[in-house]
Amino acid sequence: MGRKGMGKYIDKRTPATFKIQITSMVDMFVILLVFLLKSYSTSPTQINPDKNLALPVSTSSKPPVDALKLVVSKAGIFVEDKKIIDLNQGAVNVSDVDASDTNFIRALYTELDQQAQKSKSIAKVNETLEFDGKVIMQADRDLPYEILRKVMYTSMMAGYSDVKIAVMSTR
Amino acid sequence: MRAFRRPKTDDSTYDLNLAPMLDIIVSIIPMLLLSVVFVEITVVETPVPQAVERAVAAQEEKNEVQITLSVSKTSGFRLVVNEKGQAKETNIALKGTELDIEALKKEIIQTKLRYPNIFRVELNPDESVPLAEIVAVMDGIRTKSKNDPTITFTDVTTGKPMETDLVFPDVVFGNVAGG
Repeated sequence: MGRKGMGKYIDKRTPATFKIQITSMVDMFVILLVFLLKSYSTSPTQINPDKNLALPVSTSSKPPVDALKLVVSKAGIFVEDKKIIDLNQGAVNVSDVDASDTNFIRALYTELDQQAQKSKSIAKVNETLEFDGKVIMQADRDLPYEILRKVMYTSMMAGYSDVKIAVMSTR
Repeated sequence: MRAFRRPKTDDSTYDLNLAPMLDIIVSIIPMLLLSVVFVEITVVETPVPQAVERAVAAQEEKNEVQITLSVSKTSGFRLVVNEKGQAKETNIALKGTELDIEALKKEIIQTKLRYPNIFRVELNPDESVPLAEIVAVMDGIRTKSKNDPTITFTDVTTGKPMETDLVFPDVVFGNVAGG
């Protein structure tokens, strides 16, 4: 090939830019988008259980409501992410319960009472809010009724008598 | 002779520009990934009776039917139906070392057929019963399964018979405040 022929060949070559085929990538993203939209939560209240907390499984399909969050794990009792007392392998230490009433957890009552007073004082100035005594209890599935009874009894004494147990839905 | 020349025409096929669509999808996906729920959390209603309210309710329901279900890891279930002061007791033994929830379901459906207008059960678990089993019992007595007979109750407002899948949806822990 002479000098002239080489020049013609260089001119006829395809340009250096090229197009990426993104059709299959868009297909994949659309499938992902549909899956994510299906599992998108529209509930106003979100409960994110702790990784060390195994909630019981239930067929209940009632969505959670906006209420005070009470966590009872094997390690301790928490109110709105604040640790109230330590539990010894799911049992309340003797020093944490009232001597005359073994179902009454003093520190938990103090915290719940404070929360109730705060809610009541807000409800006084804001007519749209009302203290309804609702509490969502996230409790470990292996905990015995003994500890749950103590927690429910104490919350009842503090004015939180509408206890809702958080569960993992099987539906 | 002049050579025959075909007129130049545009190609009828063309490439769709998917880049803007891809931009939108890439923007939406991180937002959805942040708010996605892989485990759905629901709640089970367990209102705790206030001591005074309980006493008042007991007074009011003196002549009504009261159903109490005791759960024990050593003796199984004990279903007590108290009607006008007369108590009828049914015991369901353990199945091996586990609670026999299937037998309880059968018994609870028979009880419901006898008292279709009662929706409340007082649950009294023993202190050793774990929460998972309490929730399983509550699930078992809340609704009927497809094979169970039809439950018909009388609507309080209209007085007409109505069918329902609910058996005892109103479960109250009876032994929280003592007992």
